[in-house]
Amino acid sequence: MKKNGAGKVILYIILVLYAITTLIPFLWAVSSSFKTLEEIVQGTINFWPKDFTLDNYKQIFIQQEYFPRWLFNSLFIAIVGTILNLLFNSMAGYALARLSFPGKKSLFILILAVLMIPAQVTMIPNFLILKTLGWLNTYQGMIVPSMINATFIFMMRQFFLNFPKELEEAASLDGLTRLGTFFRIVLPLAKPALAAQAIFVFMGFWNDFMRPLIVISDVEMFTLPLGLNTFKGQFISYWNYIMAASMVFTMPVLILYAFFNRYFVKGITFTGEK
Amino acid sequence: MKKERKKYTLYEIGQGYTFMLPAIFVLAVFIIAPILYAIFLSFHKVELLGGPSYDFRGLDNFVKLMEDDRAKIALWNTIKYVVIVVPAQTLLALVLAATLNAGLKGEKFFRIVYFLPTLTSSAVLTLIFMWMYNQNGLINKLLGMIGLPGYNWLGDPNVALPAIMIMNIWSTAPFFMTIYLAALQDIPDSVYEAAKIDGANFWQKFWYVTVPQLKPVTSFVVIMGLIGTFQLFDQSYIFSKGTGGPNNSTLTVVLLIYQYAFKNLGTMGYAAAMALVLAIVILIATLLQRKFSKEETLH
Amino acid sequence: MPTGGVVMKKWFQSFLAVTLFSASLLSGCSQEESSKTADGRTEIVLSGWGGNPTETKLLQQTIRDFEKKNPDIKVKHDVIADQYMDVLKTRLIGGTAADVFYLDAFEAPGLMEAGVLEPLDKYVKEDFDMEDFEKPLLQAFQHNGKTYGFPKDYSTLALFYNKEMLEEAGVEVPKTWNELQEAAKKLTKDGVYGFGVMPELARLYFLAESKGGQVMTNNKASFASKEVSEGLQSILDMRLNDKSAAQPNEVGADSGIEMFGQGKAAMVLEGNWAIPYLADTFPDISYGTAEVPTIGKKNTMAFTVAYVMNKESKHKEAAWRLIEYLTGKEGMKTWTSKGYALPTRKSVAKELGFADDPLRGALVAGASYATVWQDGPYLPIAQTNFNNQFLSAFLGQQPLREALKKAQKQANKEILINE
Repeated sequence: MKKNGAGKVILYIILVLYAITTLIPFLWAVSSSFKTLEEIVQGTINFWPKDFTLDNYKQIFIQQEYFPRWLFNSLFIAIVGTILNLLFNSMAGYALARLSFPGKKSLFILILAVLMIPAQVTMIPNFLILKTLGWLNTYQGMIVPSMINATFIFMMRQFFLNFPKELEEAASLDGLTRLGTFFRIVLPLAKPALAAQAIFVFMGFWNDFMRPLIVISDVEMFTLPLGLNTFKGQFISYWNYIMAASMVFTMPVLILYAFFNRYFVKGITFTGEK
Repeated sequence: MKKERKKYTLYEIGQGYTFMLPAIFVLAVFIIAPILYAIFLSFHKVELLGGPSYDFRGLDNFVKLMEDDRAKIALWNTIKYVVIVVPAQTLLALVLAATLNAGLKGEKFFRIVYFLPTLTSSAVLTLIFMWMYNQNGLINKLLGMIGLPGYNWLGDPNVALPAIMIMNIWSTAPFFMTIYLAALQDIPDSVYEAAKIDGANFWQKFWYVTVPQLKPVTSFVVIMGLIGTFQLFDQSYIFSKGTGGPNNSTLTVVLLIYQYAFKNLGTMGYAAAMALVLAIVILIATLLQRKFSKEETLH
Repeated sequence: MPTGGVVMKKWFQSFLAVTLFSASLLSGCSQEESSKTADGRTEIVLSGWGGNPTETKLLQQTIRDFEKKNPDIKVKHDVIADQYMDVLKTRLIGGTAADVFYLDAFEAPGLMEAGVLEPLDKYVKEDFDMEDFEKPLLQAFQHNGKTYGFPKDYSTLALFYNKEMLEEAGVEVPKTWNELQEAAKKLTKDGVYGFGVMPELARLYFLAESKGGQVMTNNKASFASKEVSEGLQSILDMRLNDKSAAQPNEVGADSGIEMFGQGKAAMVLEGNWAIPYLADTFPDISYGTAEVPTIGKKNTMAFTVAYVMNKESKHKEAAWRLIEYLTGKEGMKTWTSKGYALPTRKSVAKELGFADDPLRGALVAGASYATVWQDGPYLPIAQTNFNNQFLSAFLGQQPLREALKKAQKQANKEILINE
């Protein structure tokens, strides 16, 4: 890109200002997680703790004997759920964007319409269905109902609408079937979209609170959000603990992101600048 | 090949539904079935506790809805919220994505920073914000430092809803930014090359190349924004301890639905009716959006 | 491109592997519905909300004692992390609720009327001694002459005052509500409010009814009356005229007791839960408790929770034995021994000597005259609407009567939809 002095400065100003806006809440939360309760209660705005302490983190691990088990449950559900979502959402999105078959339009509208019903009213019937299947307190009860996601079917459809047709045509000339084309040509090229989707779906499972709250009653089957909430209930207004617990809860996702970030960057070099 | 071409349509049907099968299965069992049940409920007076009893009431629930003042307030609050938050977050997301994609130095760093809110659970974000919004919290202290008055962000009805709006724009814009970024990477370079030859500067390229190229994605972002904001629940539930107060200032439609559905199980049918009406409102908003950006055809 | 294809293939293979692995895992951990454990003991489930670590330990101790005495029963303790009543109601509808669970008096009428609770009278034996319970607390779980639960513990509200602040201002501990108002004025200075108040019906109900008004009449909201406004007026006077009262979030606190602990309020009305909280969080504060200042006569709120039995329970005999133990003299003594909760049995209270405890004495004294936080099945509806509107009156945005009228109208509309 040709440098255009003034324009560049403006861009940097935007970038830096927004970076500050984004970082402040996090730095504040991180710093609070290393403060003592007394310092929190005083309410001064120093980002560097006067009395640096790791105690808050220690407390979490001491107070929660089930913590490792909850971590495992959360990771297992989120990872399996994410893989299934990536596959099924992309397949459905691709079909809606690229294939022609009867009922396509109605299916698309149906998927959109599904998004418009707030979950609060479908919660009880959903619970009854899971109960009938005997899936309460199980991993499948947590994974199967969410193994597709209307939002991301919709997102993938929008992506594939823009997808260059020529590649698929070439593939079909090579004698690949549609499924073959999809897995060998289309999916690899959709990596940026898949990476974005992977993070969001993972986040969705990772953060899901209402479903496990209702489906899971066994402490051993708890996911982290449920566990953390139990913790929060025990330590109302112990902001130092709550912030430390929140940080522990956020770490795995940051690690996941660090991993997937490569794919975002790769995406750029694939099609990108030069 | 030739043989198959004869049964082309049948092949296509099979093919289409093979791709759609998992989605259809889950939709049918875990989403459509509960929604049908909710529709059924909306025409009844329901008592689910102690052995379900359904008492058919026709359109009764819907008629009552028209006279419900709180429902009107909730709808009005929600609409205010949608009208401000959706454009703001879409624009912010687009600008941030385009800026990040401009190939400036240090772009990687900014990208990581910007993703942070997206990577943090909304429950955690709400906690962080509640704490910053505290009367003695960071925001009031910062405002005080530059000589502005602080607010009781959580307790004052005049600022409670804007406080939620600010927080939501801040936390959802990066989500949509990520989607824009992924989409920006799919725009072929040749398009930009052509614009460059025509002597377009950064902003011209942004406006005349990037924005039109991103239309399907923008349509996605706006529709998802509409759906998400119309269903605002978590924040107003946490901020108002579930009441929607003070003086209904943080009452949203979904919070009201929740109150009817759970605080008292005898109003489950009424809650279902309200949910259906909300779905229709969202549907209309979505259709309007599609009318306005008529570029996109079902293909 | 070819690399992409290979990667994808690998990816697909690993996907298959994971699916198969998970499938095998899933079938491995499929639900065993049987409630007999391997050693032939009957397993019953006890649901409740979480408590602080000390409370959790006490409960586990009590349960272990029970299991030792009843070797044929195993108790599974199950914690509902949040939104207790929503989850409980959903599970009751689905028929998967626990055999024995906590129930707040406030929510009890709804569930007793719905017929999802097992009446306990037929199980009660002579030596259980029902007379021993504080009567108003037990009555909260009785309906149409049947007893559906036995209160496990309770708390009333008492006046918590900061000794240093009162001394400094030369103020005596207020005995009447007028004295409280005067004291609050004198105690308000330098960012400290004389009186910290939670503008919520649960805390103000007894004040609302103090001038002869009724919050609910015949299962309809009736709090828009002149009498109820008069009862509540003093709170608004303190907040708006004297500027001697504030709610916690106006000073950056989350609860009344935090406000008190931080030294931003000299007096608050709080319950037994505040005593361990202050000891843990603000160990340096020097405070005392007194009975709630009188408005004509003595009054305060009482909050109580009972153990109740699910009508659908498959092990009613075992479930009763658990309730019998937990609310019996021995179990209750273990549970309340550390003073985290107050015993609902007079004999246990006497034995543990809480009436003579310098901090808990005022709370225990309230039990005999307190108003139990309960008023028919629709109090939850009334409460939501009351809190929503009362807050804006408290902030001075609309006159009290008007706010209450709005709230009452809306509450009754919602009650009507319910009927």
